[in-house]
Amino acid sequence: FDPPRAVAGAGRRPPPRPRAATGRGRSPQGRPPPLLPRCCRGVSPLPISSRGRTGTTELTGSTNLITHYNLEHAYNKFCGKKVKEKLSNFLPDLPGMIDLPGSHDSSSLRSLIEKPPICGSSFTPLTGAMLTGFRLHAGPLPEQCRLMHIQPPKKKNKHKHKQSRTQDPVPPETPSDSDHKKKKKKKEEDPERKRKKKEKKKKKNRHSPEHPGVGSSQASSSLR
Amino acid sequence: MAEKFDSLEEHLEKFVENIRQLGIIVSDFQPSSQTGLNQKLNFMVTGLQDIDKCRQQLHDISVPLEVFEYIDQGRNPQLYTKECLERALAKNEQVKGKIDTMKKFKSLLIQELTKVFPEDMAKYKAIRGEDPPP
Repeated sequence: FDPPRAVAGAGRRPPPRPRAATGRGRSPQGRPPPLLPRCCRGVSPLPISSRGRTGTTELTGSTNLITHYNLEHAYNKFCGKKVKEKLSNFLPDLPGMIDLPGSHDSSSLRSLIEKPPICGSSFTPLTGAMLTGFRLHAGPLPEQCRLMHIQPPKKKNKHKHKQSRTQDPVPPETPSDSDHKKKKKKKEEDPERKRKKKEKKKKKNRHSPEHPGVGSSQASSSLR
Repeated sequence: MAEKFDSLEEHLEKFVENIRQLGIIVSDFQPSSQTGLNQKLNFMVTGLQDIDKCRQQLHDISVPLEVFEYIDQGRNPQLYTKECLERALAKNEQVKGKIDTMKKFKSLLIQELTKVFPEDMAKYKAIRGEDPPP
């Protein structure tokens, strides 16, 4: 079986003859000759010279390049937490629907590079005569032109989240403790509840049955 | 570095605000607001002049084109930074792995060569010096 390398090499260059077979290169001690071309002998025993050695100060991939360039802060900032997907999260104060692809309304930045606008090199203020071209008709804009004032809907979850945060600042107790307390409360409240239930029943009988769906808990709370 | 962008940011914010006010005037135009509109239009021109002046300070700043793609798709450009950093770290680790493997290979090769060619390797080590262990 011929290795594929030998097949590929055939016809290009004759395969190197083993030196030991010629007998010319054998050293006087009888040991095999060094694996070096003649030009390199006496200079360096191996073709790698001392000049070619990579210095310890050279920057390679073996060092953490993020640390080397002091980018840890940036790495932690962007990779440590989730970055919000939408452009409006990056530019929250920019009016209009900026999350839509620019290709939809031909407002893409790429088109600005590919087809730069035809304009002069300087900006000159508009004269009175020029401003006459900007006289507008009175009245509101048609619906399709009001896109600029439409803001992306802001998530209500944020507020809810904040509220929920503010509502439960107390650290959660261990489930066993809280359950125990609840059970205790239940036991304590039992005679009271019975009384209240009785009262409620009486009231229900007195009032017209307009709100039959009201839960017992709500009712009991209103009584309190 | 950041100071360079401050004036540009300020001018851009003013410009955007002016455009927003212009939009409000135009959305329900009244003949009495024509002078206000003219003022806003000229303010827009001066705003563009101010932004154009900022070019001199920022001529050495280059922005990767990929960032524009993110913005054009309505995506947060910080995601590009994030992906760049992640890619850099992954590549860094990959290259480090290769370097470490090559170092191990080198030490093993030297070890084996020393067994077969002790004198040559002694000369080699004399020239190259002792390599630190991988």
